[in-house]
Amino acid sequence: MRNNKIIFLFFLLHLTWLNAHSQNDQVSLQGKPASRNSLDLYISGGFGYYPSSEGTPAYLQPKVSRINAVTTVRVFWQPNHLLKMGLETGTMTFYNYELTDSAGNKGRIALKATPVLLEFGMTVKKRIRIIAGTGVYFLNTKLDYAGETSSQKLTMGWMAAASYTYPLTRDLGLGAEAKWLYASETTIGSLGIQLQLVWKFFKW
Amino acid sequence: MIKYGTIALLLLLLISCKKEYTAPLPDITWPLFDSSGTVPLTSMTRQKIEGVYAITEGSDAFGESAVMKCSYTANGSDTTYHFSLFCQKEVIYIICEGKRLDSTILLKGYWRNMVNTETGKIRLTITNSNGASQLLYSTIADSVSGVTVTGVYGSGDNPPDKNIELSYLRKLRTTRTLQIVAHRGGGRTSDLLPASENTVEVIKLASRFGATGVEIDARMTKDGVLILYHDETLNNRLIQKNGLVGPIENYTYDQLYNLVRLKNGEHIPTLRQALNTVLYNTPLHYVWLDVKFSGSLQMLRDMQKEYLLLANAMGRSLEITIGIPDDEVLQNFQALPDFTNVPSVCELTPQNVATVNARIWAPRFTLGLQIAEVQNMHAQGRQVYVWTVDVPDNIRKYMNEGEFDGMLSNYPSAVAYFYYAKQ
Repeated sequence: MRNNKIIFLFFLLHLTWLNAHSQNDQVSLQGKPASRNSLDLYISGGFGYYPSSEGTPAYLQPKVSRINAVTTVRVFWQPNHLLKMGLETGTMTFYNYELTDSAGNKGRIALKATPVLLEFGMTVKKRIRIIAGTGVYFLNTKLDYAGETSSQKLTMGWMAAASYTYPLTRDLGLGAEAKWLYASETTIGSLGIQLQLVWKFFKW
Repeated sequence: MIKYGTIALLLLLLISCKKEYTAPLPDITWPLFDSSGTVPLTSMTRQKIEGVYAITEGSDAFGESAVMKCSYTANGSDTTYHFSLFCQKEVIYIICEGKRLDSTILLKGYWRNMVNTETGKIRLTITNSNGASQLLYSTIADSVSGVTVTGVYGSGDNPPDKNIELSYLRKLRTTRTLQIVAHRGGGRTSDLLPASENTVEVIKLASRFGATGVEIDARMTKDGVLILYHDETLNNRLIQKNGLVGPIENYTYDQLYNLVRLKNGEHIPTLRQALNTVLYNTPLHYVWLDVKFSGSLQMLRDMQKEYLLLANAMGRSLEITIGIPDDEVLQNFQALPDFTNVPSVCELTPQNVATVNARIWAPRFTLGLQIAEVQNMHAQGRQVYVWTVDVPDNIRKYMNEGEFDGMLSNYPSAVAYFYYAKQ
């Protein structure tokens, strides 16, 4: 199933690349002709919603916090066509919950993650971009029950997002991004919305 | 382009859905079997009913023949007996309980095909006219002949409506002993058995699957408790999702016991619970402790010694060997005091086997039959168990052409069929 997802993501990226390759008008955040190459920095902060009931078993009588902070940083290389490529990382919590064991003892489990994703994106309409990528998630369990435990695991995952950016200046924009972050241990991942600052910080 | 993106996201959602396979045990209730007039079968009857049977009706589903073997699960003074039929076709087994109603023997249970998720109910009968009287009343051990088992089987929880008939052919093979070792305590979680791998529950099932011994995976918790668990990490393959990830050694036993449930709802057992089960609840007489942790093996050795002494005191035939799967464990094993007298099963080279004086050499089956090496081990007074043989054709080949003393398999029922059915 994971292979299917990866193949499909590449298919999606290929479609996107084909579409983008025919267009070579580079635009600035304000839609005017810009430098041929640039590096864009996206700083995003917001919340993710964990929709699945899996991961919080009934025998632990969970009180689940499904909405958690998602903070990410993305650097995109914007070349001489619409398809961009870059890396995204950050910190997020998929979910956390308070538990009660069969003896009535309380505890808390949080599943946090640091994604490291290779992403591709393109502008599909003025100020609107779609982004998709795959990579790894450094999952981290924070357990507070009969002592504190922190435990890590590396797992595969992906993301898909759509963003809207409103230009403030030629090199600076403010926007919002709807984002779906998925790590293979998390059933269907986290659906989120973030505020986003975009800065074209390097041009050549 | 937005259209493409939307379609892509929808498709991604679609293919994200993972199919969950299940093979739930059917409800085997049979009012006749459970009626007040039925009584348990005697030890003599249980013994005499064992044998190789030709499947004269229903062979399309179960193959040309089957092996009937009795096993038990003890629970204090209460002992439950089961009759297992290991079938020739694919990897199909039937597990029944038996009773007598007047002069008729009744067997009720279920069948399961391990190569898929097919399962169903089965009800078998041996009437007086089909030879029940000689099984029930004759005290002559070799008097079985002309016994015919008739019955019906069904699919899933549907009422059984297809006929099956078996005819007694001969006694089980007894000319050569083979240790039939069930992998991971009885079988893998992924094979959708009624219990999760490496649990007390699956160890109790192992002899019903045809095993005479079990291989179990020993790991150590953060606070030094030996437990049974195969994988290095807590993961969705083995446990119900709960937000805990990473190496199992990061967690204390209390955390694992109270917060983790295996796929079928069981707790992760301690090694002590597992060995107690083998010793007090099953007829198993071999345990292969596969070492999955690094560090000192002293605690494992102490437990091995304790249970060997217990078994000896009970007059119970039980062999427990510490597995040596790699060089790191080999080094740790050699750090044990008097390690050459510690019963072990070594998966490494014949030279390593000699160095640690392992009782058993356990080569991987992909290395071939290794006739000369096996004979050399026999000449040194050692046994050779091959692992992990699952494909029926390979099981038959290694059984018939090899000279192994034991075979580790995820499908002990298939090994049992080829072993006991061979003339």
